Amino acid sequence: MITKFQVAYKNLLRKKIRSLLTLIGIALSAWVLVSLLGFNHGFETALDRDIDNMGFQMMLMSKGCPYEAATMMLKGGTGLKYMPESIGDAVRKEPGVEQITPMLMQAVFDPNKGESGGIAAYVGVEPQSFGAMKTFLKFRQGGWFKQADSYEAVMGYEAAELEQREVGDVILIPEKNVEFKVVGILSRTGTQDDGTIFVPLRTLQKIFGKNNKLTTIGIKVSKDADSSRIETKLYELPDVQVVSLAQVKQTIMSLVSTAKVLVLSIAIIAIIIAMVGVINTILMSVHERFQEIGIMKTIGAMPGDIFQLIWIETLLLCATGGVLGIVLALVLSRVTELVIRNVLPYSPKGGLVLIDLNLILFTLGAVSVIGLLSGLYPAWQAGRIRPLEAIRSGVDG
Amino acid sequence: MSRNAVSLEAKNLTKTYHRGSEEIAAVRDVSLSINKGDFVSFIGPSGSGKTTLVHLLGCLDNPTSGELVLGGRQIFSGNGKQLSERTLTGIRRDVFGYIFQNFYLIPTLTVIENVMLPFTFYRKPGAGKDVMGLLKLLGIDHRRDHLPGRISGGEMQRVAIARSLVNSPEILFADEPTGNLDTKRSAEIVQILKDLSKDSGLTVIMVSHNLELASQADRQFEMRDGGISERL
Amino acid sequence: MRRGMLPFYTAVAVFFLIMRLSSGPAWGAVGCDLNDPARDVKRLFPGSTGFKTVEIELRNLGGTSVAARVEAKLRDKLHGLYETINVPYTVYIIYANKKKIGYIHGVNQKGRYGGISIFLALDLNQRIKTFYIQKMTGQYAGKFRDAKFGSQFVGLTLDDFEQYDVISGKTTGKVSRIRNPAPEAAQEFKYILRGTKKNLLFVNEFLTLSPDLSLKKKEPAK
Repeated sequence: MITKFQVAYKNLLRKKIRSLLTLIGIALSAWVLVSLLGFNHGFETALDRDIDNMGFQMMLMSKGCPYEAATMMLKGGTGLKYMPESIGDAVRKEPGVEQITPMLMQAVFDPNKGESGGIAAYVGVEPQSFGAMKTFLKFRQGGWFKQADSYEAVMGYEAAELEQREVGDVILIPEKNVEFKVVGILSRTGTQDDGTIFVPLRTLQKIFGKNNKLTTIGIKVSKDADSSRIETKLYELPDVQVVSLAQVKQTIMSLVSTAKVLVLSIAIIAIIIAMVGVINTILMSVHERFQEIGIMKTIGAMPGDIFQLIWIETLLLCATGGVLGIVLALVLSRVTELVIRNVLPYSPKGGLVLIDLNLILFTLGAVSVIGLLSGLYPAWQAGRIRPLEAIRSGVDG
Repeated sequence: MSRNAVSLEAKNLTKTYHRGSEEIAAVRDVSLSINKGDFVSFIGPSGSGKTTLVHLLGCLDNPTSGELVLGGRQIFSGNGKQLSERTLTGIRRDVFGYIFQNFYLIPTLTVIENVMLPFTFYRKPGAGKDVMGLLKLLGIDHRRDHLPGRISGGEMQRVAIARSLVNSPEILFADEPTGNLDTKRSAEIVQILKDLSKDSGLTVIMVSHNLELASQADRQFEMRDGGISERL
Repeated sequence: MRRGMLPFYTAVAVFFLIMRLSSGPAWGAVGCDLNDPARDVKRLFPGSTGFKTVEIELRNLGGTSVAARVEAKLRDKLHGLYETINVPYTVYIIYANKKKIGYIHGVNQKGRYGGISIFLALDLNQRIKTFYIQKMTGQYAGKFRDAKFGSQFVGLTLDDFEQYDVISGKTTGKVSRIRNPAPEAAQEFKYILRGTKKNLLFVNEFLTLSPDLSLKKKEPAK
């Protein structure tokens, strides 16, 4: 016996090009939807991971624009104002502050980097306090420098790859012509640390003439402490800017949401248009089969049967389109990521588009619901066809 | 089942249409009685109301007034109450099989799938036990896996007949069944209908404008201006 | 139906257009690609009108045997963390009005203070047209990146480097006439020549295996 499903499926094959075009429409909109939702989910996850990997929840910087500070910090930026090292003592005294690590970022212009030159940046850290805060950093080769004033460097994975450095090699700070011996190369972390070159704090201060100066203090807050209270307290220190990572996250997310709204509205338009396409296709196919449907009623089909038949067709189109779209999204997620990275002012490292089973099921569900809704009207129309009219519309009239 | 059991009985069936303010009676006060196993034909010029009458008898349409009894079951009781499409479908699929001038096969389904299609929606208890036998009887068993586009017009109408018979109807309703066929094929189809009524006691109601074919029927009704007369 | 679909395709097109327009420069990628191919190709290969980028991974070309042949001709090991078969290579095929006129290919060579990215623009006979160090760190980097130094490489081929010993730096013929602009940095000079030879060897391998660089052809498995 032939099922309604088979009847519906065979009918879709009748006009292959039309079905295919409709299918593509649905697949594309499902693709946009999955990628977008996957991005939504992935971006936040990636951002959280980035922030967790900072190892601290708050940063102290000299006064400046907080947006600038946020982007600079995350890009490993430079050109910040300085604060005296002694401020660290005040911070350390604050109840709730578990640990601090002082940092100094410096950069030089290297005319021999590419056609028009480039920036080489260095982060001066205290090996003990910094390593203790970023316990998740693993070494691929070597380890941290032991002294705060040695001429030794630790390189992030990508920085080392770019410079083809291994433990025992030397690097040079251009302009200053100071050599450092590479003593450690970090494993890939998927964070901004990958591109960073770490050197001892005291050494960097000396080379750049910034004795007792810092650009940043990383602050680890104890778990049960009230971080907003600490934030307020730290603001009482002169000329400093407190950047809590929660705030950074918020700033970035709000930047991102602008782009998201744009894409989301396009996705919604795409879905609506795909839906109109489906309604159009099915309605047309119902009209073309006016007599066929009428005849089905003379051989025993109830209005409900016809309704089901047409609904199945719609659902079949949408579900297949949805599956295609999801496959497309999975296959092209890297491409989507690349595109997003280029659009956004800042994006965390690692996978930005996260497509998990829940999202796949949700999209399939959403596309199916859209299919069912789109099929409602054509199916209702088809169900209402009376056999008599169908016969009358035939030749003899 | 006795040959003389009444299969269909119409009393004062009337169907009127409105064209503007004018009232047109397509079928006027028709009463007739058809016995089980009868092969009946309706003839008449176009506009005579024969198609409308046959649609009423075939429960494809509601009459304006009048009664219709099918196999002892009162369908239209004469109070002018209109039955819903659902109710009519329910009656039709128990009682009638239909074939038409345009065979209305589903082009995407094979011969056997077309014949079995009614079961997709409804299967009368005990019906369709020997579909292959039915195909053989109609001489289309060798075409079972062909698509309708690949077979001849005569064969297509045989497929339509097979489809109308799988649910074991009491009455086969044939609306210009030979309208799209040549003389030889037409004669063959009418012979099949004749044999069906004779051998299996199927009531056959045929509409045709072809007098020669119509005369093959056991009884012939002639329609004129909405009224009916039996040719004796 | 087609009427219904049209706005949809328009929307998709607009979507991509927006994506395109708003894309800024990407973060620097690790590997040996030109920083700004469109601009760099024009400069390195005067007379070119376009180019095509081909990514090559050694393992798709029968990895170890290509590396082994390069090592044999280099008469040195490909060593360390960064000269592995996982390194991607990029060859730019250069066109002038649809006609192929040459290639640009870069390699990373370990230098004293960092990676040296050495790009060679080659004609169809794999003869050097332009020599370019994209990136180098060190006090003498400027001298090596100077056009005067690079011009000494013009016209050389792999054959000229055949005799060059990448470890001792000893050689004969045309290569021996290349003058070190910074005699204090003898080691850097040797690194640059090694990188150049390595560069020529790899391009030669790629073109021998797959003259059109379609890379469909794989070496038969041993």
